[in-house]
This record gives sequence, structure tokens and C-alpha cells, in this order.
Amino acid sequence: MIHWMVYASFAIVLWGVNGLFMKLGTNRVSARSMVIWVTAGFLVLLPFMWKATTLSGLSTGVIFVGLIAGAVNGLGNWAVFACLEKGAKASVAIPLTALYPLCTVALATAFLKERPTALQWLGIALAVAGGAMLSYEPAPATSPEEQLHCVQ
Amino acid sequence: MQTDRWYFPIWLWYALLCIFWWGLWGFLSKIGSVAASPLQMQILFTLGMLPVALGMLVQMRGKLDRNREGVTYGLLSGVATGVGTLGYYAALREQNASVVTPLTGVFPVLTVLLAFVVLRERLNKVQAGGMLLALAAIVILSI
Repeated sequence: MIHWMVYASFAIVLWGVNGLFMKLGTNRVSARSMVIWVTAGFLVLLPFMWKATTLSGLSTGVIFVGLIAGAVNGLGNWAVFACLEKGAKASVAIPLTALYPLCTVALATAFLKERPTALQWLGIALAVAGGAMLSYEPAPATSPEEQLHCVQ
Repeated sequence: MQTDRWYFPIWLWYALLCIFWWGLWGFLSKIGSVAASPLQMQILFTLGMLPVALGMLVQMRGKLDRNREGVTYGLLSGVATGVGTLGYYAALREQNASVVTPLTGVFPVLTVLLAFVVLRERLNKVQAGGMLLALAAIVILSI
């Protein structure tokens, strides 16, 4: 039997390399085109997943929630591609957007009445501080001509 | 040349928008996964992404970018994310989510390393510190 660490390492490598693919892709095609090609990549896997399971037995409500979640995921994909397209470094955008559980925790607190544990509060504080620091980008200096123009 | 003056780059808006959409995805997944298996959820996610992709195609009036390398990276991105997710689910069959999820959450480290080597990206000191804090946060929030 394959050890679970092998599967987990497999996920880490593929998701980590994917960050590079995302940047290399958006350097060549638009963010909207990337959404379409990435969705096509997901579709390649669909027949294999259908072989392993079916959707029978799921209620209409659960299917609806799953489909909406997929649509929302697609919009998130578009946003991260747009972020990279607008000049974000992959080494900033990928760790920054990986902080999305912060939003999940906030939504679960608001709508599912879940209360964050002390450890989660620490995670939230670190996420906010880390996110702010990751997004720190010094403004480009103005040229001497522009500075002169400002003085005038 | 740069100054120490901080400004709000346009890409940051999109990053925040992404955090919101993916955060909502995590929330909806949490609700759906009570009744559906991870694999069933993954099928539904894939099907749910289709209308968004079609909407983008309509917005672009069918003028899809077909740069060969770009298309390859796009397809690879979809396959890598999907197969990686299946690997994650396989790990979950053998081990608790409280162990697997924080571990797999460190994947951005690999992206940063690859971006350093392949794309020659360099983080400033503040961003490097932020990455470490973000990493700790990802691990903690995944537990």
C-alpha cells in the first residue's frame, strides 16, 4: 500500500509547479483565455472521475451547492490569472491568494455560527500581517522631470 | 528605481478578489462535503466551472488566445491542479485532514522556489517576511 505521505507530496509538487504554469501561461495568453484552457484541463480528468464514482444518491441541494462552488472557483481562477496578468510576481500572488482560508473562516463564523479557536485566531492574525507584508510593493520613483513638474 | 512609499498596485485588487471567491468556494465546499464525497465534489466543481468558462468565451466573442505555449501551460495548470487534488484526497483516505491539509498547504514554497530559479523573481525583505508569516497562517488555518 502506498503511504499517505507519497500522495500528499504528489499534491504539493503538482500544486507548487502549477503556480509556475499559471504565471508562464498568463505571460502568453489573456486571463480569460487561461480560465478556458484550465477548465479544459480539468475536463480531461472528468471521465476518470466518472469511472470511480457517480452523482447518484446526492440531493438536488447538494448538487446545486457543488455546482455553485465550482462556478465560484472558476471566478477565483480568473481573478488570480488577472492578478498575474497585471504584473504580480508568482512568488507573491500564489502565497497571497493561498490565504483564502481566512475568508472561509470568516464566512463560517458569520453564517455557520462557528467560533474560531485560539489557534485559528493566531492563524488569522498571521494571515493578515503576512498578506499585508506580501503585498508591500514600493512605488516606482518619479523621474526628475516629473518631480520638477510637481514643484511647478 | 523605487521609493519606500507604499502604493496599492492594481494586481492587489485582483488578489483580494481571488481570496474572496476561493474563500467562498471553501465555504460552499464545507457545506457540500457533509453529504458528498470529495470525488463527487470534484466532479461538481468541474461541471460548475463550465458556465464561467463559457461566459468568458462569450465575453471574448469567441476570440480565444491560441498561443501554443500559453495553451499548453493552461491545460497543464488544469491537469496539475486536478491530479494534485486527487492525490490530496487519496492521502485523506489514509490520514486525518488535520495532518494532511496543513502539510499540503506548504505548496506555495515550491512555487516561490521555482519562480526564483525559472522566472528569476526576487522578493524584497518585507515580502520575504510576509511569505513566512503567510505560510505559518496557511498551516494553522488548515488544522
